[in-house]
Amino acid sequence: MKNKNANIFTVTTFTFVIIFLYIPILLLIVYSFNDSKIISSWRGFTFKYYYLLLKNREIINAFKNTMIIGVLSTIASTVLGVLSALALENKRFFGTKFFKGLVFVPLIMPDILMGVSLALLFSFLKIRMGMFTVLIAHITFCVSYTIIVIQSRLEGFDYHLEEAAMDLGANKTQIFFKIKLPLMMPGIIAAALLAFTLSIDDFVITFFTSGRGFNTLPVYVEGAIRRGTITTINALSTLMIGLTLMFATITKRIRKYLIAV
Amino acid sequence: MNNEQKHEKKKNIYSWILSLPAMSWLIFFFLIPYIIIFIYSFYQADIYDIKAILTLDAYKNVFSPEYFRSFFISFRLALITTFLCFLLGYPAAYLIARSSEKIKNTLLVLIIIPFWTNFIIRIFSWRIFLSPEGILNNALIYFNLIDTPLMLIRNDFAVILVMVYVYLPYMILPLYSNIEKMDFTLLDAAMDLGASPKKTFFKITLPLSKDGILAGSILVFIPALGAYIIPQLVGSQDSLYIGQIITYKIKNIPRNWPLASALSLMLLILISALMVLFYTLHIKFKERMIVKDEDEK
Amino acid sequence: MGEIRLENVSKSFGDFQAVNNVSLTIKDGELFSFLGPSGCGKTTILRMIAGFEVPSSGRIFIENQDITDIPPYKRQVNTIFQNYSLFPHMTIFENVAFGLRIKKIAEKEIQNQVFEMLRLVQMFDHKDKYPNQISGGQKQRIAIARALINKPKVLLLDEPVAALDLKLRQRMIIELMNIHDLVGITFIYVTHDQGEAMSVSDRMAIINKGQIVQTGLPDDIYERPNSIFSAYFIGDTNLIPGEVIGIEDDFIEVQTELEQDGERLVLDSSCHAKVDKGAKITLSLRPEKIAISRQKPDVKSDFNIIKGKIEDILYLGTHTQYIVRVGEYRFRVFNQHKRVYFDDMALDWEESVYLFWHDIDSYVIQEQDMSLNGGLNNSE
Repeated sequence: MKNKNANIFTVTTFTFVIIFLYIPILLLIVYSFNDSKIISSWRGFTFKYYYLLLKNREIINAFKNTMIIGVLSTIASTVLGVLSALALENKRFFGTKFFKGLVFVPLIMPDILMGVSLALLFSFLKIRMGMFTVLIAHITFCVSYTIIVIQSRLEGFDYHLEEAAMDLGANKTQIFFKIKLPLMMPGIIAAALLAFTLSIDDFVITFFTSGRGFNTLPVYVEGAIRRGTITTINALSTLMIGLTLMFATITKRIRKYLIAV
Repeated sequence: MNNEQKHEKKKNIYSWILSLPAMSWLIFFFLIPYIIIFIYSFYQADIYDIKAILTLDAYKNVFSPEYFRSFFISFRLALITTFLCFLLGYPAAYLIARSSEKIKNTLLVLIIIPFWTNFIIRIFSWRIFLSPEGILNNALIYFNLIDTPLMLIRNDFAVILVMVYVYLPYMILPLYSNIEKMDFTLLDAAMDLGASPKKTFFKITLPLSKDGILAGSILVFIPALGAYIIPQLVGSQDSLYIGQIITYKIKNIPRNWPLASALSLMLLILISALMVLFYTLHIKFKERMIVKDEDEK
Repeated sequence: MGEIRLENVSKSFGDFQAVNNVSLTIKDGELFSFLGPSGCGKTTILRMIAGFEVPSSGRIFIENQDITDIPPYKRQVNTIFQNYSLFPHMTIFENVAFGLRIKKIAEKEIQNQVFEMLRLVQMFDHKDKYPNQISGGQKQRIAIARALINKPKVLLLDEPVAALDLKLRQRMIIELMNIHDLVGITFIYVTHDQGEAMSVSDRMAIINKGQIVQTGLPDDIYERPNSIFSAYFIGDTNLIPGEVIGIEDDFIEVQTELEQDGERLVLDSSCHAKVDKGAKITLSLRPEKIAISRQKPDVKSDFNIIKGKIEDILYLGTHTQYIVRVGEYRFRVFNQHKRVYFDDMALDWEESVYLFWHDIDSYVIQEQDMSLNGGLNNSE
């Protein structure tokens, strides 16, 4: 029997949650087209801020940096993820428990602790902060996620497939590249997408490890908010939201395609 | 050593080698930095850096009322945030878990999309929405509900609101994942035995979702303890949370890295204690739910 | 006391009609079964009696009281679920006490009743254990205890032994029957296993596609099926279509499609229904009623005798199943291994044999379904 009361209650709460989650975003998008320096008064529809955005070299630069770091850290952390997931297949090698713990803990740590620790590390090693340090930081926090995602996908792996391949004469390398890796692909891609998302979205850790010269988009936006130069931020935000949605749709398409395959 | 053991050993070494890259990376960039934090906490502070003098200054500072208060309000903030996320998140997660397959996916995507838009931007949009010249106040004035703008920003209200906003999906997703696996015929059984829907919820549904509530709580509470950017952007600058203090001591001149290190260590210890607590509770909850698969005892 | 009446009950889920105009009275104290294939609607009927589904139309009465609109937690009906649905986070004691706790009965009284109930199902020593620490059969006993302690008027059992293995199943069925005798309330039992239904029931109903096909005592349904579906769903049978060419008192002559020596076979059968000459009917002949032998049997004229060739032999311990080809048809024959039957020498493949049976052993069904050809339509 359907609990009629429970349904009304849960549906209302859920609707409220959705409205709560989406209102600020929607308003932001609307106001990015607002031809007015003051946010609250509507003065007409304009693309003005989008033009200004594209002319703003700092922003373009920050965007470029965000993408570069994103791609590089994704590649690095995914590769590390694959290797580690393969290592963790064998449940009893030396140091399994330690490794698992090591991988799991960063997932729960507040960003700030990781940011502080890396900032002090780099200072201790007298490494100048910039793109290199940001990249290292991103790989560090992404790798736990990629390992967990790929490893959990590997859990349902049918080892009989490997046995069948061996039975048919394939050697270990062939088995890996022809059987295992292709079957791991959905997990690998999921991990890569997750790492990319986390990387382009990160603020706190990047904030601590980027030093003065190097900006990623989130860092730039925060600075702009602090300084008060927020006119183009709405437009930028809308573009980023659009980018994310596009990204999300592509992700869904890829996953559907992979599942079908 | 016989053949089988040799083979085992080879496999183990092979796995160990595979784990080496990630393991060394994490040891070097995750573990070691904490050792450096530990070391730094014993040095003397300097405006830009640290002086190579050993001292317990940092720790003397840490145990002062000012910082103790900061830990306290950070803890309180995390607690309130987690609780509110639970109140809003549980019904939402429950609804999704009990929906049909098609609807489930749509609802999940709906919850996840805002999660994917940039963190900073979402906080920024709340600032716009809540500020005295912002949309909410304008609307309220327009409809003659208030005369002067409400101070909805630069205070604890805004901080809690935005914290809940940002961390809500972290509560909903693990809760959903847990409730989804529940045997719903148990609810039928409870009603069959005379329990009204309300009683069924409190006696059956809620207790059985304890592990999910725990998972959601960890994912909200611990990151919330270290909150920096949210209080920074929408909170009042009068009472600083521990995340803000640590950040100031690292980045702003005059710096005090030893103090920041000491505070970070304290935070780390607090978090570790919480993790142990959560883990123990988790083990306890999991025990009860394992089903044995035998037909003859 | 626990008489149940369904009046024109129907239930549809969207376009799908799960239950179609079912009317039935179940007597007080009966052990009544609903038997049918998966998806036939029997579980839906049960759930409507329990209150988990509301009928799209029709009314349900218990002791003449209309309970159609009453929610499950207010009905004096309890259910044993297919996988027992014991609460994993409560002890055995707490599980059984659940219903009493809801009623806010005094603690001491709860303890007394629970202990008594646990002793009744012989599970007293396990009272502090959790469901994941006891076996399937024990779980079922606790499910029963948990339900019966509330003194319901009706107990509903949804495929209660489906999750157990064969030997245990047989034991549990006997236990259930004993409990039924002891407690005396109405039991409604739902299953897809016809052996179970027949052994357990006082009366039963066969359900197909949301409708009642036949209601009655188990041996009534078995020996006198009212339709091809009933004959074919319960036990094995040989279905022989034919046309009535002669009627004499309670016996008829049926011309079949079976060929023997170039001619269409005519079989005699008893028939208690009123049929007309020329009517198209089907004879249902149970395999255990057919005898098989090498030599032509020396029997009276009230036996039908036909010739055939053995196509398959399945040794099953208590009996041997033969598939015997007669023209285009295959007959299924069960031959029990008893020394009293003559010609017990082992028969072999490809042997020519005689099949014979008494003409009162076949039953006339007034229906024909030419798609079930071959006389052998026992589902896998």
